Amino acid sequence: MSKPTSAAVRPARRLRIAAGTLLAGIALLAAACSAGAGDNAGGTDGSNNGSTSGGASNQTLQVGLGAAPANLDMTQTAGAAIPQALMYNVYEGLVKLDGKAAVQPLLAKSWTISSDRLTYDFQLQSGVKFSNGDPFTASNVKFSLDRVPKWKANTPTYLAAIKSVDAVSDTEVKINLKEPDNNLLFWLAGPLGAMFDPNEVSNLATTAIGTGPYVVDRYNTNESLILKRNDKYWGTEPKLSQVTLRYYADANAPVNALRSGDIDAVYESQAADQVKQFQSDDRYKVEIGTTQGITVMSMNPGKAPFNDKRVRQAIVYGVDRKAIDTAVTEGLGKVLGAPVPPTDPWYSDLADKYPYDPAKAKQLLAAAGKSKVTVDFNVPNLPYCQTIAQIVKSDLSKVGVTVNLHTQEFPAVWLDKTFTQKDYQLTVINHVESRNIFNYGDPDYYWNYNNPKVQKLLSRAAAAPGDKPYADDMKQVVDVLADDVPGDWLYNAPNIVFAKKSVTGISANDNGVSLDLTGVSNPS
Amino acid sequence: MAIRLIRRAALFVLTLLVASIVVFGLLAILPGDVARTMLGVDATPQAVAALRNEMGLDRPLVVRYLEWVGGMLHGDLGTSYVTHQPVAAAVSDHLQVSLILVISAMIIAICVALPVGVFAAYGQGRISGAVLSALSQLAVAVPGFLAGLLLVIVFAVTLHWLPASGWVAPIEGFGDFLRHLLLPALSLGLIQGAILSRYVRSAVLDIMREDFMRTARSKGLTPFRALIRHGLRNALIPVLTITGIELAALFVGAIVIESVFVVPGIGSLLVQSVQNRDLIQIQGIVMVIVAIVLVINLLVDLLYAVIDPRLRTSR
Repeated sequence: MSKPTSAAVRPARRLRIAAGTLLAGIALLAAACSAGAGDNAGGTDGSNNGSTSGGASNQTLQVGLGAAPANLDMTQTAGAAIPQALMYNVYEGLVKLDGKAAVQPLLAKSWTISSDRLTYDFQLQSGVKFSNGDPFTASNVKFSLDRVPKWKANTPTYLAAIKSVDAVSDTEVKINLKEPDNNLLFWLAGPLGAMFDPNEVSNLATTAIGTGPYVVDRYNTNESLILKRNDKYWGTEPKLSQVTLRYYADANAPVNALRSGDIDAVYESQAADQVKQFQSDDRYKVEIGTTQGITVMSMNPGKAPFNDKRVRQAIVYGVDRKAIDTAVTEGLGKVLGAPVPPTDPWYSDLADKYPYDPAKAKQLLAAAGKSKVTVDFNVPNLPYCQTIAQIVKSDLSKVGVTVNLHTQEFPAVWLDKTFTQKDYQLTVINHVESRNIFNYGDPDYYWNYNNPKVQKLLSRAAAAPGDKPYADDMKQVVDVLADDVPGDWLYNAPNIVFAKKSVTGISANDNGVSLDLTGVSNPS
Repeated sequence: MAIRLIRRAALFVLTLLVASIVVFGLLAILPGDVARTMLGVDATPQAVAALRNEMGLDRPLVVRYLEWVGGMLHGDLGTSYVTHQPVAAAVSDHLQVSLILVISAMIIAICVALPVGVFAAYGQGRISGAVLSALSQLAVAVPGFLAGLLLVIVFAVTLHWLPASGWVAPIEGFGDFLRHLLLPALSLGLIQGAILSRYVRSAVLDIMREDFMRTARSKGLTPFRALIRHGLRNALIPVLTITGIELAALFVGAIVIESVFVVPGIGSLLVQSVQNRDLIQIQGIVMVIVAIVLVINLLVDLLYAVIDPRLRTSR
């Protein structure tokens, strides 16, 4: 053993001390801090998280979802993620949509509609309280609906037909309309119909107080939303005492989390390629329903060559929608021919109106004098849009149309250039907002579609005397659109739900408003 | 030494100031608008204009810049346009997560790199050295997210030993915290370790050719003992420089790893803020990252003096 000199020892010890200090620092950092504990936003009122009453079950559920809410304020912030988490679970309206997107009673027990269709008379549930203990009465209905014009997001103009709201008694409310509107109940079942407590609207971005079966315990921005059972709930007590909604940007991450046992279910999964694997595994169940989404490749009728109907029709003939549906959803989506999801009352299967027919496409292009044409395609940088764009480019090259792809960051750049400035020839996006067909009546919308016939038919439908005449009028709108094709309506995206066998009650269909947790249980 | 410190500090402040102008200017010309992004496809132009006004985005750039810088001097990074939460709180919360992740990854990297690098150098010309070299070369070529996905498939999906994603704060349960930390830290650290090991190897090889090493051998030390006693310390100087640079790179690499493992770190926050065009939050995050990188560089500079006594007097 050689003897080290003292000079060699001293610095070495100092190094060791330095390393030791560093490690101690890290340990301290880790132990002392609450890094990522997430106390960003809380909606608790502190009064309902006590011990659960006797007989209440202590089931919990963790659900994996896609896009996260930007905040909790759906009055000022767009995005389906906010109502998806909060509607029917935290906030309730007079009515709600069921799994078939049909209107059902909620805070209103029943209602009558006057013969001129201008007055809606609602009988309310009694004994309803907000989760902070404040009572819910007809005055809250008036307050909430009077406040809708102040909303910026979620299209407040959908309730523009409302003239006034009268609180007749605590449990009766009348809504008076300027003109008949057959869509009123449908929109009241959505986010616009949410009932608020006047004392709790000052900070909706971080505090959500409603009459629903759950309260927001905590929102860890972009990561998870934790809901706890509202012990003051007026209706049937939910089975789950706690629900955690976890948000994943990537399609495979929630599927992996389900497989490794971190979560119990994946809702609206984008991992269509995993369906077969899950189906063959008896620990899980797979449900495939519909969504309200319309994936549409819009052809700007305000710009050549798409100002010519024949060119638009040629594109629809020249693009193989079935191949797109197979590529993006493994064929689980429904191939469309009109902007109508299968759950709408005026849906009819128009998938075969324009079969894939390149010869016909060439013919129409030649007739329009556009045998060789080049178009620009603004493509959002979302995986499904990129897939669609590649297929469209390849399909259309076979009929003489050269497509130049321009990828745009979604949402920011796409919303700016394509949506707001309407600077596009071709673009594609999945419109998840319910009943977006009504935007074909708005010539200022980015679809740039100005057809007085459609506008007239849409307003006639809104005032039609009853459900049947309403649906009949809407069918006429659909027929005009399907002939005129301002867009190529590609497919209705499937709602893919993967879950552990123990989970029951999640609706396979996505009604476009809410992931309704009221009937869900998970006795694991 | 004192003058050097003061000079470094002045440079530090100046760099931050320039960075603030560059960050603010670049973000001002970034296409996309936070108000439109927040309101999406179902809002009128009037609603968007009203929201821009509420956020104060319709005021002149200079006013907004001075307001922002003025706030920063008080430690106030502003309030997020999107989440309505203070930016400083969000940044500090997410930064702690990233620091834990990055430092753990660095520890793993060093623990891997030192032995692998030293043995690869020591075994040069032998099979053991070649194998170690080849393995580290292979690991360098693997992208971090791929390593992450492979680790998830093996340890989470197949073996069920560790969670596939997510994060648990230390105070919420230390065991759970470690279980969630392990996979992301490994996917960052192993690859960084492989990169670092190649620097260690070449630094050690250089040192072994030095005269003082021959002297150490000639006074009777075995090659390995000579290396550990006299060589390693000198080899550490270039390695430390690289470690400093790599530490900054780890923060960037962590952005990808954080999104693979759904870890709420500063990278996830940055990506989300950019997507939302939450300008004030992006500015805050970038400034904090700039400050961190500057501090790391400063520390590396100072650490040289600790490792190499010659540098203490020569400057």
